[in-house]
Formats: sequence, structure tokens, C-alpha cells
Amino acid sequence: MEVPPPKYAHRFLRWFCRDDYLEEIEGNLLEMYERQYEDSPEKAQRQYGWNVLRHFRPAFIRSFKVYQPNNYRAMLRHNLILTFRSFQRYKSTFLINLIGLSSGLACALLIFLWVQDELRVDKFHANNDQLYQILEQREQAGKLVLFRTTAAPTAEALAADLPEVTHATTVYNSSSSVLSVDEKDITAKGQFVGNDFFRMFSFDLVQGDAAQVLTDPSSIVISKELAQRLFGTTEEAVGKTIERKSDHSYQVSGVFRNVPRNSSMQFDFVLPFAGYQREHEWTSEWSRTSPATYVQLKPGADLASFNNKIANFVRDKTEGQIFHRTMFAQRYSDVYLYSNYENGEQSGGRITYVRLFSWVAVFILLIACINFMNLSTARASRQMKEIGVKKAVGARRGSLASRYLSESVSVATISLLLAVLLVSLLLPSFNEITGKQLTFAFDVNLILIAIGITLFTGLVAGSYPALYLSGFDPAVILKNKLNRSVGEQWTRQGLVVLQFTLSIILITAVWVVYQQVAFVQNTHLGYDKDNVLYFERLSWEEGNLKAFLGEAEKIPGVTQISSIGHDMTGHNSGTTGLQWTGRNPSDRTEFEVVRANYGTLELLDIKLKEGRTFSESFSTDTAKIIFNEAAIDYMGLTDPVGEEVELWGENREIIGVVQDFHFESLHENIKPLFIILNPNSTWNIAAKIEAGQEQETIEQLSQLSKKFYPDYPFDYWFLDQEYQALYAAEQRVAVLSKYFAGIAILISCLGLFGLAAFTAERRLKEIGIRKALGASATSIVQLLTSDFTKMVLVAITIALPISYFAAQRWLQNFAFSISLQWWYFVGAGVLVLLIAWLTVGFQTVKAAQANPVECLQDE
Amino acid sequence: MIPNLGQLEESVLLLVMIVEEAYGVSVAQAYEEKTDNTISIPAIHTVLKRLEKKGMLRSWMGKATAERGGRRKRLFEATPYGYQVISQLRENRIKLWSLIPKFN
Repeated sequence: MEVPPPKYAHRFLRWFCRDDYLEEIEGNLLEMYERQYEDSPEKAQRQYGWNVLRHFRPAFIRSFKVYQPNNYRAMLRHNLILTFRSFQRYKSTFLINLIGLSSGLACALLIFLWVQDELRVDKFHANNDQLYQILEQREQAGKLVLFRTTAAPTAEALAADLPEVTHATTVYNSSSSVLSVDEKDITAKGQFVGNDFFRMFSFDLVQGDAAQVLTDPSSIVISKELAQRLFGTTEEAVGKTIERKSDHSYQVSGVFRNVPRNSSMQFDFVLPFAGYQREHEWTSEWSRTSPATYVQLKPGADLASFNNKIANFVRDKTEGQIFHRTMFAQRYSDVYLYSNYENGEQSGGRITYVRLFSWVAVFILLIACINFMNLSTARASRQMKEIGVKKAVGARRGSLASRYLSESVSVATISLLLAVLLVSLLLPSFNEITGKQLTFAFDVNLILIAIGITLFTGLVAGSYPALYLSGFDPAVILKNKLNRSVGEQWTRQGLVVLQFTLSIILITAVWVVYQQVAFVQNTHLGYDKDNVLYFERLSWEEGNLKAFLGEAEKIPGVTQISSIGHDMTGHNSGTTGLQWTGRNPSDRTEFEVVRANYGTLELLDIKLKEGRTFSESFSTDTAKIIFNEAAIDYMGLTDPVGEEVELWGENREIIGVVQDFHFESLHENIKPLFIILNPNSTWNIAAKIEAGQEQETIEQLSQLSKKFYPDYPFDYWFLDQEYQALYAAEQRVAVLSKYFAGIAILISCLGLFGLAAFTAERRLKEIGIRKALGASATSIVQLLTSDFTKMVLVAITIALPISYFAAQRWLQNFAFSISLQWWYFVGAGVLVLLIAWLTVGFQTVKAAQANPVECLQDE
Repeated sequence: MIPNLGQLEESVLLLVMIVEEAYGVSVAQAYEEKTDNTISIPAIHTVLKRLEKKGMLRSWMGKATAERGGRRKRLFEATPYGYQVISQLRENRIKLWSLIPKFN
């Protein structure tokens, strides 16, 4: 044959064709091919392939089934009956599997709900793909620091200058204010926004037109809920007047659907930024950086090139005067999960926790699956005869495998039902811990995932026994010559080691998170946050403040009272307008500004290192300045007290240096800071309250506030609570991971328990003989536990380095963190070892105490 | 009682009787020559197989030739039952033909 026919067609024919026809058909086809080849090679090739294809019909297709069971239903029933019989017969194994799998599945489902909720935040906007937040990086002391706010004119300028920007909006000052209608006062959260706000974000309007509602500076757009609360109706709200305390009257121009829970922006009403801008001059300056800016880009716009264009936007706008601020955009829906930037590099954010918990879910499920695998392989030795007989009478490997898979899938399904029950019971407490409002709604997604996880669990859990058991040679099994000890034991021990490795990693993780959170909460911050009540100063008249403070001081429960222009929980206001001798002219470091009143430093118990604090006995203290140590170090002053610096163009004498204190979260390093006496700019009142008298004191303060400011509600918070809120995420993670680690340990130990019981049972005769020959119960317990001890020890050796590195990486998120102690890890190992001994010990002691007569009877 | 035989089956059965060394390719060739129709080899194979199953043909493996790449032929031959069926068919046809009323 000169040119052979197409190989694939040929191979295909050989694959499907029945053997008794193959030779004839092949021969005929080749003969035809040979003849046609002389006329036209291409046609012959085509014809050959076509003929092969046309032979693909029932008459010529070989039967691929070696053995065809005549009744599938009977087999299914048989499998089910066997499954349920084995449940009954091995009750403890079944229970262990059920508890393990159902708690594992419940954990996985809860975590899935949480992760899904986290991932959905801010993704509901129709323009999601085009919405971006404008961020700024500033160079400070050689490092890039991220700011989420920009200069107020940015939004407008970007929209005007860049063709990619279809809409841009400013969002400013979301805070609570008091709205009143006909003597009715309601506290609500609002923000000033640009005209395009409703056209960009999908906060759908039920009344009013998105393009129009914000054009009039004196209009207000309110949520449905707020409309209901203010007017008792949503339909007739438009056109009505609302008075905003400390401000103006606004006319309702629209009503929007309540802001969904999965939005990171939460507000009850919005006001046009244009109105605010008209009354506040600073909003035209590029040097100030206050509102947040959001833009919507044209579909398909390239982010990298857009970022390139806006990088030097501020410099260009200010003709080179402000050159140390560079802008870039981040996807709006990414802000929630990826909020951290470290020196210009994206460095995670909440996504870290999302990933952490996804891993936890996988780990826990894996541990549960391993239990199942181990217990069923262990048990399998007792089912060897069954398998041997079945194979000998012609059962195929597949049908045997399906028997084990159906068993594991049924256990998984029953566990799923239990897990669903557990989840619906646990959800309220889970919500409390996570601070979310998750619901267990049966949407398609959830059902698919639940079924997916269950099938996956069932298949993974059943895979090993199914593949392993069905592969034996029946002759070997029936002759009882199977040498199963080595491979089987290695696998089983390997799985136990893996299980414990995972558990130890989880425990150390929990311990480290817990320690860090405790550390954060107990670290001395450099000031005293206990029993300090904070509330907003409600009038900006200076005389009024003095009178109020004077009256408040007389309340017996109030030990000290003062006012301060800082929240002590984060960056408040900073300035670059500080000059000192020896300053590098290109230095753009921002100093944090604390505006204080007399007595503020004393109230917060901020320690003085040198000099003095502000005092009413000096009349000129408003022109003085106090620095923290970090600032003095940064400026490089050796003998600061008495020296002069220039702030905003005025000379100020340094009168004191205070010890460093944390005015931001511990994620941040302590930055340079100064304190100036400026009672008029202090927007918070701080009161130190005698412990044990909180109730009465707050009541009296509230009455005083009502007397001075009858129009305002008295809202207060405790400084330590506020401080703790900074670490809410960490704290939640700490609590959650504690539970999850507990569950992981529980599941691991359940497996170990089952395995120990099995081993003890299998070695019953050995134990009997040993006892008959005079072994003591202790030596037998030792004999039985030593295997498990070895496994746990191996697991510890593997787990410790892994968890050490994981912990180290996590702690790098914090500027101030615990140092890892060796005993954290050894402690986790010892704990696991103890739990394992306890679990195994129970079984082995039982075995060791058994009467040898009973187990040796039948020999 | 004559078994049901399709038109193609009938033709192939006849061709097996006619052709000297009847096997898939030779039958297909004869079919194309004698009826002026083309036919695919899978169709021939199917029909041959069906006829064999009905007992009208029998087959055996013949010799290998070079042009078949070393594969043997399956040779066919009509069984006595096959001859019987075909002649009965013919008789039936003639009977029916004779029943057609003459118009001229």
C-alpha cells in the first residue's frame, strides 16, 4: 500500500467495531480505498473516513459492557440494604462519621454564607465594572502613605479634563445629624454628594429623577425608611420641607430605596455638595484633602492608562506647587476587600480573612473526610470475605466501588440534612459573632454549593475504600493470604498525620490571633482610655462651651472634663505647614494636629516628658506648641523646650514634649504629632467619670446637655469601646477561629477514637495472649498508644514550621505585635498530644482490662 | 409464508447468487454495475449481515490478498432457504403481475 488510509479513522474503527466483523469490514474498506486511490487520493481518503463513520451503527458496535446486570433496581436496593445494615452493625463508626461530617459540613456552610456575603459587598451597582474610587499616595518620610480622600475640586476637574470619565462625584462627611419636621427630631446619617451620584451608583430612586434630584442646592434626597419615619409616607414626601439642625431647610426632591446592607456606603439622606461648597471656601482649594471622589469610566477604558494620566493631576492643577501627591484609581467594589496599601503596594485587607476562612472550611472538611476514609478502610478488613465472594461470582470492580461510594454519599447526605438543621440553629449566634445579618435562604447558588460540597465530600470520603477495596484479587482474599499490612497502614497513618497537622495549624493560628487581639486590647496606649466618655460638642460658640464645661465639672461623678479636637481612634487632621530650623525644604511629612483645651492632656493622662502642659495661669498659651517624642526625633531637636517653630506662618514656642501615645490603631506606627491650645476648634467633649457611677453621671450629663442645647440629642460613646471597635474585625476572627479550631480538634479526635477502638479490637487476640503470658495492663496500654503517639509527634513536627511561618506573615499586618514565643507552638503540640492520649487511652484501657479468657475462647 | 424482504435485501441476495466470489466489495461493485445506482459499503455490510441472520446467506472467511492489507475476505453464498425465498418471491410477483387488468 503506497499511502495508508487516515490513521484516526482507522483507529476509531478498531475501537468500536465488533471483533467478528472487524477483519471483513477493514479488508473491504482497504480494498475500496486502494481502488479509489488510483482515481483521486483525496477522495479516497475522504471516502474512507466517511465509510468508517457510517459503520458506527448498532449492528457493528461492540458491546462495551463485560457484564450486564439484568436489574439495576435490584442492585441499588441491594446496595442500600447493605449500606443501612452496615450502619446498624457498626453503629459507633456510623455515629462518628455522622457527627464528624455533619459538623464539618455545617462549618463549611456557615463559612460559605459568610464568604459569599463578604464577596458580594458593593457588587450590586449596575455600573460596577466602571466605578472607581480616586486615591492619593503621599510621600512622607520616604514612605508612601495612602489617603482615601482627595481635594474637593477633583471630581469636577476629572470629569472636565479626561474624556474617559463619564461621571464623577464627591462624597463628603457622612455623619449623623438631626433632621426635624414639625417638632419631630430624628437622628439620621447623611452625606454631601455631587450631582452625578444617583446616575453612578445604583441607589435606585423610587421618587424623582436621577439626573435632576440634586441640581438644586437646597434639595434633599431621603431614603424610603426615613421618609416613612418623618412623614409617615413615601409617596407624598417629595416637595416637603425638612430642617437640618445647625444648618438650613431643605426640600425633598426624591426618595431612594433603602441602602442595601451589602453596601459599604451607608446613609439615610444625601444633600447636594454644591450647596455645601457655596458656603465653605476651603472646598475650592487643592491643598486641602477632604471629600472622597468617585468616578465612572467609559466601558472598556484602560485602568492603567487612566492611572498614568491622573498620576500628576494635582501637580498640574496647582502648577507644580503640590508635587508630592499622586493619584490613582481603585475599583470601587474592590475597596471593601482590598483596602490596605503598604508603601504604594496593595497588601490585602479584609480579603485576608475571607481567604483565611475559606482555608479553614477546606481544612475542616478534609479532616472530616479523612475520618471517613480511615474508618472505612479499617473496617474493610472485616468485609474482605464479602468482597472476595462477590468478585468470585462475577461482580465487577465498578459495582463494588459503587457500593462503597453509595454508602459514603448516603452518609454525606444524611450529614447534610443534619448540617442544614445545625446551621439554621446556629445562624443567629453566628450572626452575632460576625456582626452580619446572614440568612439561610435557599437560593440556587446555595443549593448547588450544598449539593456540590456533599457530593464532593461523599466521593472523596468514599474514594479510597472504593478504589482500594475493589482492587483486590479475589483468590488472594479468599485464601486469606492478603498482605495488607504495609501499604494500608502507611496510608492510614499518613492520613491521620495529615489530619493532626491540619488541626495543629488551626490551633496555633487561633492562639496567635487570640494573643495578638489580647495584646492590642491591653497594650498601654500612652494614655488612659478607661472611663472616658466622649460626646460631640453641640454648639460652636466659645462662651457656651466654657459655661457647659463649668457646669459639668460640678456633677459629682465627673472627675475631669475638657474638650479635644481628636477622636483618638484614627487619623483626624494633619498638616504639612510646619517649619523648623534644619528642615529639608522638600520634606512633606504630615504632622498630626491635636487641638486641645486646658486640662485635656491631664484628663487623658498623657505623660509629659519635658516642659509643661497648657495652663490657664499663662495667658499666651494659645501661641505655644507641644510635640510628641516621635516629632522631636523626626525634627532632630536636641533641647526642644524653649525653641521656636513656625506653624502656618506664625512662630510658636515649644513648651513641652509628651511621651508617644497611640492616637491611631496599632496597625499604624506612631507618627509625629503636635498639640496646640485651641478650645474653639475642639469638636469633642471628653469627660472622665468615676467608675461605678456611670449610670447617674451619664443621666446628669444628658440633662445638662438638654438644658444647654435643647434641640440636640445627647449621643455619647466610651473611648475604650470606640478603641475596641477598631479591632472588631480581628476580634471577630479571634472568636470565630476559636470555635472552628475546636471543631477541627473534635473531628480529628473522633476519628482517632474510632481508629483506636478498631485497633484494639483487631488486636484483641494478641492482647489476650500477652495477658495470658503475664503482661500488665499498663504495658498493654503503652503498646497500643505508642503507635498513635508516633503519628501525633510526626504531625507536630510537620505542623510547627508551617504554622510558625503563617503566624509570622499574619503578624506583619500590625505595626505593633506580639513576638512569637516558642511555647505557643509547643503548647499547641502538647495539647493535641494530650487530647489524643485521652481519646485513645479510653479505648485501650478498656481493651487492656478485658478478660483474656473471653477473646481466646474460640482458639 | 414468505418472510418480509426489503427491496435492497432482495437485490443483494440476488447479487450474491449472481456474483462469482461474493463479498462486500464485489457485491457493491456488481450492484453499481447492474442497477446503475451507487451504494455505500456500510449499507452492503448491514444488508449482508441481516440476510445472514435471517438464514438466507451463509459466510466463511476466505483468503487474504495484498490489496486488502493482509485482511481476509468474508465470502457469502446463498443457502437453500435463500434460493427458496427468492423463487417464492418471484412466483408471487408473477402471480401479481398476471392479475393486472389489461387495458388494450
